[in-house]
Amino acid sequence: MEISEPVTQQSGTMQSRSIAENPCNMCMPMGGIIALKGVEGAMVILHGSQGCSTYMRRHIAEHFDEPVDVGSSSLNEKGTIYGGSSQLKTAIDNIRKVYNPAVIGVLTTCLAETTGEDVHRIVEEYCRERGVSREMFITSSTPGYGGSHGDGYWYTLRSVVEQITRPAAPHDGVNIIVPITFSPADVRAMKQTLTAMGVSFTIFPDISETMDRPYKTTYTKMPTGGTPVAEIRKMSGAKATIEFGAPGEEKKFPGTYLKDTFGVPYHRIASPIGLAQTDNFFALLKTITGKSMTAETFAERGRLMDAMIDGHKHAFAGRSTLFGDADLVYALAGFTIEIGMYPRVIASDSRSKHWKEAVTALADGSLEPVTVLCDTDFATVRRESETAGSNIALGHSDGKYLEEHSGIPLVRLGFPIHDRIGGQRICSVLYSGTNRLLDTCVNTLLERKYRSYRKRMYDQYFPSSRR
Amino acid sequence: MAITEEKLGEILEVYPEKVRVNRRRHIVLKEPDTNAAQQIEANTRTLPGIITNRGCAFAGCKGVVVGPIKDMVHIVHGPVGCAFYTWGARRNKARAGEDGKNYVNYCFSTDMQESDIVFGGEKKLAKLIDETVEIFHPNAISIAATCPVGLIGDDISAVARAAEERHGIQVLAFQCEGYKGVSQSAGHHIANNLLMDKVIGNTEVEKCDEPYAVNLLGEYNIGGDGWEVERILKDIGYHVVCVMTGDGSYEDLRLAHTADLNLVQCHRSINYIAEMLEIKYGTPWLKVNFVGIKSTCDSLRAMAAYFGDKDLMQKTEDVIARETARIQPVIDQYRKVCEGKTAFCFVGGSRGHHYQGLFAEIGVETVLAGYEFAHRDDYEGREVIPSIKKDADSKNIPDLHVEADTKRFKIKIDPERLAKLREKFPFDEYKGMIVDMKEGTIIVDDLNHFETEEFIRLLHPDIVSSGIKDKYVIQKMGIPSKQLHSYDYSGPYAGFNGAVNFARDISMSFATPTWNYIVPPWKNQPLLNATINGDELNA
Repeated sequence: MEISEPVTQQSGTMQSRSIAENPCNMCMPMGGIIALKGVEGAMVILHGSQGCSTYMRRHIAEHFDEPVDVGSSSLNEKGTIYGGSSQLKTAIDNIRKVYNPAVIGVLTTCLAETTGEDVHRIVEEYCRERGVSREMFITSSTPGYGGSHGDGYWYTLRSVVEQITRPAAPHDGVNIIVPITFSPADVRAMKQTLTAMGVSFTIFPDISETMDRPYKTTYTKMPTGGTPVAEIRKMSGAKATIEFGAPGEEKKFPGTYLKDTFGVPYHRIASPIGLAQTDNFFALLKTITGKSMTAETFAERGRLMDAMIDGHKHAFAGRSTLFGDADLVYALAGFTIEIGMYPRVIASDSRSKHWKEAVTALADGSLEPVTVLCDTDFATVRRESETAGSNIALGHSDGKYLEEHSGIPLVRLGFPIHDRIGGQRICSVLYSGTNRLLDTCVNTLLERKYRSYRKRMYDQYFPSSRR
Repeated sequence: MAITEEKLGEILEVYPEKVRVNRRRHIVLKEPDTNAAQQIEANTRTLPGIITNRGCAFAGCKGVVVGPIKDMVHIVHGPVGCAFYTWGARRNKARAGEDGKNYVNYCFSTDMQESDIVFGGEKKLAKLIDETVEIFHPNAISIAATCPVGLIGDDISAVARAAEERHGIQVLAFQCEGYKGVSQSAGHHIANNLLMDKVIGNTEVEKCDEPYAVNLLGEYNIGGDGWEVERILKDIGYHVVCVMTGDGSYEDLRLAHTADLNLVQCHRSINYIAEMLEIKYGTPWLKVNFVGIKSTCDSLRAMAAYFGDKDLMQKTEDVIARETARIQPVIDQYRKVCEGKTAFCFVGGSRGHHYQGLFAEIGVETVLAGYEFAHRDDYEGREVIPSIKKDADSKNIPDLHVEADTKRFKIKIDPERLAKLREKFPFDEYKGMIVDMKEGTIIVDDLNHFETEEFIRLLHPDIVSSGIKDKYVIQKMGIPSKQLHSYDYSGPYAGFNGAVNFARDISMSFATPTWNYIVPPWKNQPLLNATINGDELNA
C-alpha cells in the first residue's frame, strides 16, 4: 500500500498530518521502568490499568531476554470513579510482602493522571499509615500522553535524585548519567574503562546486571546489581556530573537538578560513540579528574582509527537514515558524519527545539543535505529515506519496514530490538564499541553490494544480444 | 509428585492473609473422579501488586479480536504507547484477499498529547479518519478507545457516525478503555457485541451458494494455525465463509449469517458471537479443537456427522487416514525424545486446555494448567453459566440482546437429529478444562510470577508453556519454556502439520545440548560444580 502524496515535514513540532502511522516511539512509563531497573533493589509499580504493566513487561522482556517484574495497581472502573489510592496501597503491601524490595518506584499512567491521582500524596499517606520511611519510595509522574519513553526515562531519573540525593561531603567521584539507549553491555564497558583508569564514579542508572543477568543455579526474584541507593544519595558531593545525551529541555534532566540544588558542575555531552565524541569524553574526564585513558584504551583508539582507514571507502558510499531516541540519534549523527556515511534523514521522538537546533548544527558538518524530522512516524521516515536515497539505516528493530519495504538495510541498535536476540549485549560506546558499530555498518553496506553487484555488472556490460 | 493441600499452604503462606484466602479460591487440586464438580474462582479482579500476566480490555478488543481483521484500518485513539504495544505483537498472520487490502502490518494512532487530554481529541480523530480513507481506502475502520478517552468524554461513537456519513464506509467505535472489566476478557465481549450488532449480516446477500458452509470462530491464525485448519477443511470439501478473526476480512465477516454451522475454536473470546448467531439466525455451533491429532479428528468427524452426508463422511475418513498415516511416524520419532516428561500449560483463555491433548500425544503429561483470563465455564463447563453471579465488573460490560431475525432465521438442522448428535458431540456445549485433567494435577487461575516460581520449585516440570513475560523466569530457573501465545516465532501448531511442528519444537527443547550445561537445582548434579568468590559455578 503506497502513499500517494509525499508530505514534507521539516518543522519541529507541527505535523502536517494528524495521522501517526507506524510510530517510532513509546510512552513515558516505559522509560520510567527501565530507569528504575537500574537502581539497586528496586521494584516498580505502575498506577493504572494492568494492561500498561503487562504490555511494557512484554516489550522489555523481549528486548533484554530477561524476567521483568513490574507490579500494577490494577485500576478498574471503580477506581477511576472513587479514586485508586486503596488499590495502590494494596499493591505496595503485596509487593513488599512477596519481593521485599529496598526501593519501590511508583509511576503513573494515562489513567491515573487523567483521573487526577496524586501518587506523591498517596505514598506519603501510605508511609504514615504503615510507619514506613518515605525514603523507600520514588514517585514519578509519567502520563503516557506526556512524552515519549525517552522523556519518561529522564523525568524518572530526575525524580530519583530529587527524592533520594541528600547534601553530602565533597568527594572524588564523578557522576556518570547514561541515556536509555545505553545497553547493559554499554554500561559494562563504561564501568570497566573507568575502573581501569582509577576514576571513582557513580554510574546511574546501572542496568548492566539487572537487565542482563548471568545464569545462576539458584534463581532469585530480585536481581543483583543496579546503582546502590547509598551512592545516589551522595551524588550531590561529586566533583562533576557527566550526563550523556542530546540537548533538550533542561528541567527533565537529573544533572541540572544536581547542579541547581547542590552546585555539582554539569556537563551534558553526546554519548561516546565515534572517535571525536569519545575523545571529547576522555578530555572532559581528564579536566575533571586529572586522569588519562589507559594504555589499553589508547590502543583501542588506535585500532578504531585503523578500522576507519580500512573501511573508509565503503563507509563513504553509505548514506544513512538515523532514527529513534533523541539521545542516540544525536550521537549517531556525529559518528556517521565522522566516517562519511552522511545522514540524509535524521528522525527522532523529540519535540524539543534545542534538539533540532543541535542536530541541524551538527549536520552542517556534512557534505550532504539532511532532512531533520521531529516527533515523526515511520511512514514519514520511510518516504523521506526513499526520496533522499538512503542505503543504510541505524536504529531499533521497528525500522525493519525500511528494510522489508524499501530495501534499506537496517543496523539494529538502541531499544527495542524485538526480532533479533542480544539487544542487551550490543556495545556501541567508547572506542571499541564504536569499532564494532563501524564494522557492522561497513559489512552491512558490503553485504548489500555483494547481493546485487554481479547482476548489475552483467546487465551493464553484457549486451543482451550476446546473452 | 502430586501436590498436597499442605504443600500448597506452604506456597501461599508468604501472602498477606486476605491475599492467601483469595488466591486459594483460584486454585483447584484435581480430586479422584467424583460426581461433585470442583469449583474455581475465575474472572474476578486481580489483586493489585500481584505480578499478574493479565492485560486490559483494550488488549482483548483491539489486540485480540478486532486487530486481525485485515481489510480494515484499526485506529487507536489515545497516546502513542497503546498503539505501539499492539503493533505486530501477536503474530496473527494475514495475506491480502482479492482486493489487495491488508493493513495488519500497520499501526495507526492519534498520538494524543496533553493538550488533547485537556481540550478533547475528537477533532484530531475525525481528521485522522479522513486522512486514512484518503490514503488507504480501507473497507472499514475501527476506533479503539484507550484509558483516557472515556474519562475526558470524547464521543467516539459520534465521530464514527459522522465519518460514516462523510465517507460511506462503516466506522466502528469500540469503547474498550483499558480499565473496563478485570482482564482482556472484557475487551473480547465488547468486540463481539459490536461486530454482531454492526457488521455480521450487514449485506444484501441472503445465502451461501457453496455446500457445507462453515464459519471458523475464535481462530486468530497465530503462526498460520488458521491456514492449516483451512487447508484441511477445504480438502474435505467445506467452504469457509469467514474466519473470526485471524486472516479474517470485514467483507467475509458480513456474510457470517449465511453459514450452516459455526465452529468455535477459542471458546473464551468468541462464545458470545456463537451464541448470538444461533439465536438470531438459527445456526448451531460446535466446540472444535484443531490442536492435537485426536482432537482434530474428533472435530472433523463431528462436523461430518452434522451435515450427515455419506460422501462427506467418507472424504473425512479418507483425509484423516491419509494425514495420520503421513504424520504419525514422524510424531512417533519425536515422542521418543519427549516420552515421560511433564509440562505446565498456562495460556490465555482456551489454549491452556487445547494443548494438553497434543502434549499427551507426544508423551508429555500436563501436571499444572490454567488460564489467564477465562471464566468459570472454561474450567467447569457451560452448565455452570446460570449459576455464575454477576458482579459489578461484569455488569459494566453490557450484554447485547439479540432476537431471531424474522427474515433470516432458519432452522439449519432437524432439532431431533441435533439433540441426538449432542449426545456424542459438543454442539452448543463446552465441558471445560477440569474434566479432562487427571487426579492429582493442579489447576490455577490467573497464575502470577511468584506462584509460577514456587510451583516450578515444587513440581519440577520439564517444560513450561506460557508467554513471554514468564519465559525468562522459567529459563533462568533452568528449564525450557515454550511460548504458547506467540509460539516463539514458530508455527503453525494446529491441525496435522501443526502437530508435527509442535512435536519437533518441543523435542528440540529437550534434545538441544544446551540444557546439558544448565541443570536446575533439583536435577542430577551437573558435570562440574564449584564456587568462585562465594558464587556457584555450574558447568
